[in-house]
Amino acid sequence: MIRRLIPAALRSINLVIALLILAIWAGIALAAETAPGADSVDLDVQTLKKELVGLNKDLFKLEEELLYPASTQVAVFLSVDVGTFFALDSVTLKVDDKEVTNYLYTDREVQALHRGGVQRLFLGNLKAGEHELIALFTGKGPHERDYRRGTTLRIDKGVGASYIELKISDRVASLQPEFVVKVWE
Amino acid sequence: MRATAATALAMCCVALGQAQPAVAKDASRREIRDLHYGDVLFQFYQDDYFDAIVRLEAARDFGRLPNHAAEAELLAGGMYLSLGLHQEADLIFNRLLAGSVDRAVADRAFFYLARIGYQRGHYEQAVRNLARIGAPLPGELEPERRLLESNVLMALGRYADAAASLRAWDDESSWAAYARFNLGVALVRSGDAAQGRMLLESVGNTPAVSEEQRSLKDRANLALGYALLQERSGEAAAAALSRVRLDGPFTNRALLGLGWAETDAQRPERALVPWLALRDRPLLDSAVQESLLAVPYAYSRLASNGQAAQHYRQAVQSYVRESGRIDESIAAIQRGGFLDAILAASPRGDDVGWFWQLKQVPDAPHTRYLYHLLASHEFQEGLKNYRDLRIMQVNLDRWRDSLDSFDDMIAARERARAAREPRKANMLAHTDVEAYAQRHAALAARTTAIEGSRDVAALAAGDQSRQWRSLQEIERRVAAIPAGPQRDALVERTRMLRGALLWEMDAQYKRRLQVLKHELSDVESQLAEARGRVGLVHEASAQAQLDTSGFAARIAEMRSRIARIGPGIDAATRAQESVLATLAVGELSAQKKRLASYATQAQFALASIYDGAAARATP
Repeated sequence: MIRRLIPAALRSINLVIALLILAIWAGIALAAETAPGADSVDLDVQTLKKELVGLNKDLFKLEEELLYPASTQVAVFLSVDVGTFFALDSVTLKVDDKEVTNYLYTDREVQALHRGGVQRLFLGNLKAGEHELIALFTGKGPHERDYRRGTTLRIDKGVGASYIELKISDRVASLQPEFVVKVWE
Repeated sequence: MRATAATALAMCCVALGQAQPAVAKDASRREIRDLHYGDVLFQFYQDDYFDAIVRLEAARDFGRLPNHAAEAELLAGGMYLSLGLHQEADLIFNRLLAGSVDRAVADRAFFYLARIGYQRGHYEQAVRNLARIGAPLPGELEPERRLLESNVLMALGRYADAAASLRAWDDESSWAAYARFNLGVALVRSGDAAQGRMLLESVGNTPAVSEEQRSLKDRANLALGYALLQERSGEAAAAALSRVRLDGPFTNRALLGLGWAETDAQRPERALVPWLALRDRPLLDSAVQESLLAVPYAYSRLASNGQAAQHYRQAVQSYVRESGRIDESIAAIQRGGFLDAILAASPRGDDVGWFWQLKQVPDAPHTRYLYHLLASHEFQEGLKNYRDLRIMQVNLDRWRDSLDSFDDMIAARERARAAREPRKANMLAHTDVEAYAQRHAALAARTTAIEGSRDVAALAAGDQSRQWRSLQEIERRVAAIPAGPQRDALVERTRMLRGALLWEMDAQYKRRLQVLKHELSDVESQLAEARGRVGLVHEASAQAQLDTSGFAARIAEMRSRIARIGPGIDAATRAQESVLATLAVGELSAQKKRLASYATQAQFALASIYDGAAARATP
């Protein structure tokens, strides 16, 4: 009599295997169902996240307008175009002979630059008039040799914001890296 | 230690593509025509989607992305999707498609809409959007599109179509192995088991270098092993399951299956090897729990009823003990704080990136029995929301501090402005531009009069002017001399002198008038400039006041927004925890039921052994 009560799984290997296969192939038999209220919480979180993005955007703008007014703002960007002859380690930026940033790059940041990202290396204020910018690039050049190069730019700061791009590119003819400075209008 | 039950789910996650990031990186570099768009991409390529979207929205407000408008919109949609803002992403992509965008942008928008549809379970909609993609997508998006398509078709149960869509896969990117795995799964499910097994065999035998590849290889071997078991090919199943690593996340399931494969091959004594190894593992995993029944089953197949009975008794005790521990876990979860325990135990607990998934299941007291659930898409989404909410609160705290600094800055600027005020007032008090303007006007009027009367003497300068004054004096004195020849002679001489002098002055008059007019004009310009400068000083002063009050008003507005959002985040955090706690308790209750069911099976099997023994003992 008791034998009839023994679960089929223990009497039939076929069924045991079938059940295991069901669990493997169809996911989990014991997976919990969607909890009540999950959708509404998700919608609330979405709304909050959207509000937070908006708030962060406004705070970001406020911070920039307050700290770096357009009349004195200078932003220096760094980009990498190809960059096969130079592996970037760090950049030091001097404005009017005063060091304003010394940035060490992580692998992740270097990869982001190689994929087309442009880093805002420096954001600051300069009075209208002539200024000198010096950028010193440190890294590995051709043949894995330590490489240090500088580039200088004289800018005539006007009344509007100034955007300057430091671009690391390849000079194919000489198999050397090239450091180009471009002032954006 | 991770449970094999979770591996089954993890396998399904891969099969359904839920573990993929929402935004695929387009491998092709595009020319950057707006520096600030490049700045957004710099954050984006580092997976910092929150910072990237904030910068993107700010740059758009500042009007700094005129040359990347459509791309920026597309990127924003993708990033909102990654941040879990499906509704916002959906709005953006549909808005993009409603406008006139080029074909490539539209294709990518359709792709993301399909992804949203898939993630929300709107599979038919996802299929329609995928069908509207007109050309291969750039970079990694194309293999991802194909994988998504197969996932959607499989979600609709259209396994044959999924297999057909994947069959032509010739891409050797990182997605290819997943595609072969999915195709194998799809083929087995659609009835073409032989072809499906062949593909799973190929993935299962592919040399693996990375942990991700080893994990996929294990999944393939596990799926293949169970597919072969289904077809009663015990030998082949055992071979496939033996390829699963002994220290991987799929080991327990593989050991369990291996035992059944040996049993199927009529080798119960060999089945005991994996099952006995399995039963010594922590009992948190359903495969280990099942092994407690499988071991005595093998002994009973070997007619070792005594050992079988002993193991069944131990199994019942273990199930009861484990059930008690589950009760403790339920109580711990109901006391609250279990999500923080999970996050604290997470290896990536301090990762501030917003796109986040619990990749390692922590062995924390609250999570001991939640392997299934922790690996599930729904739980991970909820947990990600919970974690995001916590990060949002930290973000608000940081801005609260920044706003205090901004206040200090505004106050300092106001003090500096007040300090400059007396100096400015003094300077303005001593700068009477209007007095100069009046003098200029008088000079101009006199010049006009000189010109009108052609008064050449009025413009005489230097010696001429002195000579002219002397001549006038002489003429006055000559006039005073009594009339007579002497006076006549003097009059004649002065007349000649006057004539000569006038002639000389007249010759220079035109040039002198021109110089005078030019100088007057210069003075007029300088006066206008001076007026302008004074005006600017007044304006700058007023503007400084306005700026101060304007910034102060904006800071106050931000502060009130933070104050409004803060409690909302707290409430949503509590609600999210409650939802996940409900899920967890439901999962644990189901596990308790399963343990009770196992215990009942063990008791019945024990009774069966006793029954048989009694029957044999009865003459």
